[in-house]
Amino acid sequence: MLEIPAQIWQKTKTSYIWRSLFRHGYPDSRKNQSLAVFTNVFLHLHPVKVRRHALAIPYTWCMGGLSFFLFLILTLTGTLLMFYYHPSVDGVYNAYGDIKDLETVVVFGQLLRNMHRWAAHGMVITVFLHMIRVFYTGSYKPPREFNWVIGTLLFFFTILLSYTGYLLPWDQLAFWAVTVGYEIARASPFIGDEFAFVLFGGYQLGPNALLRWYVLHVVGLPLTVGFLIAIHFWRIRKDGGITGPL
Amino acid sequence: MTAPRGPQPFPGQEKRLRLLAFVRQDSVVRVDKRVEDTAMVWPHLLVIEFIAAMLWSIGLFAISAAFNAPLQDHANPDCTPNPSKAPWYLLNLQELLLHMDKGLAGVVVPTIWLVFMAAIPYIDRSREGVGIWFTSRNGLRITIFAAFYATLLTFSLILVDAFLKAHGYIEFASDHFPGGKQLLPNYLIPIAVMLGLSFLLVVIVKRLYGANTREWNIAVFTGFISVYLVLTIVGTSFRGPGMDLFAPWAVPATHQCFEPRT
Ligand code: HEM
Repeated sequence: MLEIPAQIWQKTKTSYIWRSLFRHGYPDSRKNQSLAVFTNVFLHLHPVKVRRHALAIPYTWCMGGLSFFLFLILTLTGTLLMFYYHPSVDGVYNAYGDIKDLETVVVFGQLLRNMHRWAAHGMVITVFLHMIRVFYTGSYKPPREFNWVIGTLLFFFTILLSYTGYLLPWDQLAFWAVTVGYEIARASPFIGDEFAFVLFGGYQLGPNALLRWYVLHVVGLPLTVGFLIAIHFWRIRKDGGITGPL
Repeated sequence: MTAPRGPQPFPGQEKRLRLLAFVRQDSVVRVDKRVEDTAMVWPHLLVIEFIAAMLWSIGLFAISAAFNAPLQDHANPDCTPNPSKAPWYLLNLQELLLHMDKGLAGVVVPTIWLVFMAAIPYIDRSREGVGIWFTSRNGLRITIFAAFYATLLTFSLILVDAFLKAHGYIEFASDHFPGGKQLLPNYLIPIAVMLGLSFLLVVIVKRLYGANTREWNIAVFTGFISVYLVLTIVGTSFRGPGMDLFAPWAVPATHQCFEPRT
């Protein structure tokens, strides 16, 4: 009975196509486990071995990893949302109407919107908790100084990313929440008016503001955060993996 | 004669070697090498990552199935809700805004805060306690002390401010303070309070706990985090119409369309 699947498996594994994909056997030996990690573009972010200590959940709270996980989820759900969204304030196809359609017309649209929303709130929390764990475990100390600096930038941009997204439904909640930010930008010392003008495309919150924040939200800021995360992860490796007691 | 191995110079160029630079033996990869107890990433780390991703995906699905993201009426510039609030992660700034100049609270203070945060590793350069929660028992005691210090003071300051404003402080300042209600109440007093209390915290933990650099940084960071949380909580659940203070269970509903009286 079992010979047939076993034979198929054997055939598959020795086939030309399979071997063009995988250059190692099943990862059940040390050698193949190492190969599995460093020949795979997604897994090679990892070293082949980590210190046992780094696996301890009470140590990292997994918060860095979960921030990254939420970032990926947000990219995925956000891209799907983009299929249904027009960044304009009125007209036949407008932002508010699109969100309404997501809730009532699009299949699983409400679920999609909810996932994007809650993951965005979640990411602010996980990044914050990650920062706290890094600080209290002294993980910013040499040689990781610069990665901490990258981290503070990530914290800042995560909040900006969330806030720019908050405007996009163009409902009362969004409009007035961002008005608060607009007032603050106007009040910044020396360059208040210019700063607000660049950020909101005018002296009041209108179509230009929506368009600018949309572009920032779906292109500018995600790219920035993506680049920073890449540097962040690269540096973790170059600084010898995550910290542990000396 | 066997051919020499490796890349060969082009004929006629054998002697044209120049010294370009001395490279000191030093590594750009800064790894603390030590005897380690390691585990293979496949399977040990990947299993944890996989399970974490699954649990969080399920959790996110569950939350998204249970709770809908809010959507109110179409934006209307002529209809101001009272109060209008920023999203919760920025309510700390909006709360700070009530107590000082807008630009100071919304731009200058957060900028200085971020710069200080980024500078922490350059202030505290010791390697003491890397990878150990709170570094030491003393570090833990300092954390707890600083958290209490900052939490109590922030709450008290918010109350004092509300009390003063209820008793005609702004009118009094406009009439009697040099620079009116701008200079002292909106700039100098808040700046003095923020800087003064931070320095005081450092002085206290040095005196009381003999804090070294790492430890006073713990105190300041804990202080910041506590203030941040207190401001977020007050801004989120203690502020009602007019951004007045209310008990969290007695905050009146937002007036959806607030007509300013003319
Ligand atoms: C988008 C946001 C971020 C992502 C996706 C991220 C991701 C990660 C991950 C996966 C790790 C590995 C260890 C762990 O999970 O704890 C890590 C470590 C680290 N992170 Fe982040 N991080 C982010 C933001 C920050 C912030 C805000 C800071 C600090 C201000 C920071 C500073 C660091 C440092 C210094 C390390 C090395 C810690 C060690 O060696 O123990 N990161 N980060």
